[in-house]
Amino acid sequence: MGSSKGVESKMTGSFNSSRIGRHLKPQHHWGWIIAIYLYLAGMGAGSFIIGTLIHWFTGSTKLMEIRPFTLQLDIAKATLLWGPVLVAIGAPFLILDLGIKRRFLYACLNPKTSWVARGFLILSSFILFGLISLILSLSPDLRTYIGTDGIRGLETVALILAFATALYTGILLKSVKHVALWNTYLLPLLFLISALSTGSMSLLMLILGMGRTLLQGIFSSSLIKFLMGVEQILIIIEGIVLVLYLYRVNQTNDQGAQGGLSVSLLLKGELKLLFWLGIVFSGFLFPFILESFFSRFPEYPALVWFAGISLLLGGLLLRYGILMAGVKNQIPMERWIEAQHLLGRLSLKEK
Amino acid sequence: MHGKVLFVDPEKCTGCRNCEMVCSVFHSGVSNPTRSRIRILKWEEVGLYLPMVCQHCETPICTEVCPTKACHKDLENRRVVIDPKKCIGCKTCIMACPFGHPFFDPIDRVTCKCDYCDGNPQCVLFCNPKAVSYIDADLINVERKREAAKRIADFLRPGR
Ligand code: SF4
Repeated sequence: MGSSKGVESKMTGSFNSSRIGRHLKPQHHWGWIIAIYLYLAGMGAGSFIIGTLIHWFTGSTKLMEIRPFTLQLDIAKATLLWGPVLVAIGAPFLILDLGIKRRFLYACLNPKTSWVARGFLILSSFILFGLISLILSLSPDLRTYIGTDGIRGLETVALILAFATALYTGILLKSVKHVALWNTYLLPLLFLISALSTGSMSLLMLILGMGRTLLQGIFSSSLIKFLMGVEQILIIIEGIVLVLYLYRVNQTNDQGAQGGLSVSLLLKGELKLLFWLGIVFSGFLFPFILESFFSRFPEYPALVWFAGISLLLGGLLLRYGILMAGVKNQIPMERWIEAQHLLGRLSLKEK
Repeated sequence: MHGKVLFVDPEKCTGCRNCEMVCSVFHSGVSNPTRSRIRILKWEEVGLYLPMVCQHCETPICTEVCPTKACHKDLENRRVVIDPKKCIGCKTCIMACPFGHPFFDPIDRVTCKCDYCDGNPQCVLFCNPKAVSYIDADLINVERKREAAKRIADFLRPGR
């Protein structure tokens, strides 16, 4: 009894510390392009969610005449349009990654079981709703025709689609199932929070970028301060979820699952620089510190810009890192050969 | 080809990669292992080679994740196939297969997989040590049971 326990523990030890012949490497099927796709989709959805909430609670409008036409743009809604614009920029990246790009429309043929197809439909509907709100925000006649209730209804549907988009970016990876790093509900949650945090940051930068004059009277400096506070809370929540997520995945090592190995690949393997410098420092620590400074010294808006750029970069690298470290679980056959080999080696040693 | 499956015996494989050659010649007309539907996973240090073939699962995950239904079950022949005219090369099936099977064809830009060569698998014909065989599904179960029994017996052998 005692000796068999000894064999088992030695086996587990060797399994985790060294691989026979196959050195653990980042996966390479889905790379930068898919990371950008997931990132922009998430950021767009997140900024739409935050933008809608601001719009609902402040309820301000500011109409701007568009000269040569008889159109009026409601600038306060710029925050609502920003989200769909980002998603619309991100969606073509999925097409860019396809082997045969001109067949991209086929990608929606199997929504019954495939998350790629579902995502295609969710993102397209979200972009479509963005387009409808653009048209609505341009034409006062249409707005009165639809009525406030109608507009509120449309915005609610778009909000639901935005949540679906943000969650989808994680669920797509989860649906692949045999990658331990992706196969947890904490991943869609992490991506949702990261979507909100990068989304609200991009919104903040948009508001600052559009300038106070254009937006005078709509976005007060107290609103900007409030957004900053939200941003800081989101960074903390995201940090906690990231730790929980990595901890949880690190536990999954049975049945050939490579959770622990994926986590070590990120934390101390080939991807360690990307993780510590790109994700932890650039995505969490640096923006958090700069934002804290900004709340003390609001006269330096440059702090927000630096924090923003750093946080947005961190968000992209988070997706890329998680994609890269998504190592597939071992093939049962492979596992068996390895076990056989290890047992053989152990018995040789014992002899 | 009803009910027949590819059976791999990794102990017999010498790693010569003949199967990869003939597979690519049969399916794409050129001898290019990167276009083969069978791949040899090598553990050079221990001298072990594992031919990786499609398991043609009963409930395959590759067909579930495929957004275009290009990857589907051919119920009549009890195999999983990819329609190259419908595949968009999104690589989702590659990520999803737990047996590391479908492969991206870098020339055709779509994913390709084993289709039993329509009933006459070339890898089986050209494998000299007979590491890959094409046998009735029932036989494989017998082999598996025998192997499992041997494994347990080995493990429980006194003095190990
Ligand atoms: S690569 Fe082709 S067969 Fe595989 S999931 Fe994508 S469309 Fe389907």
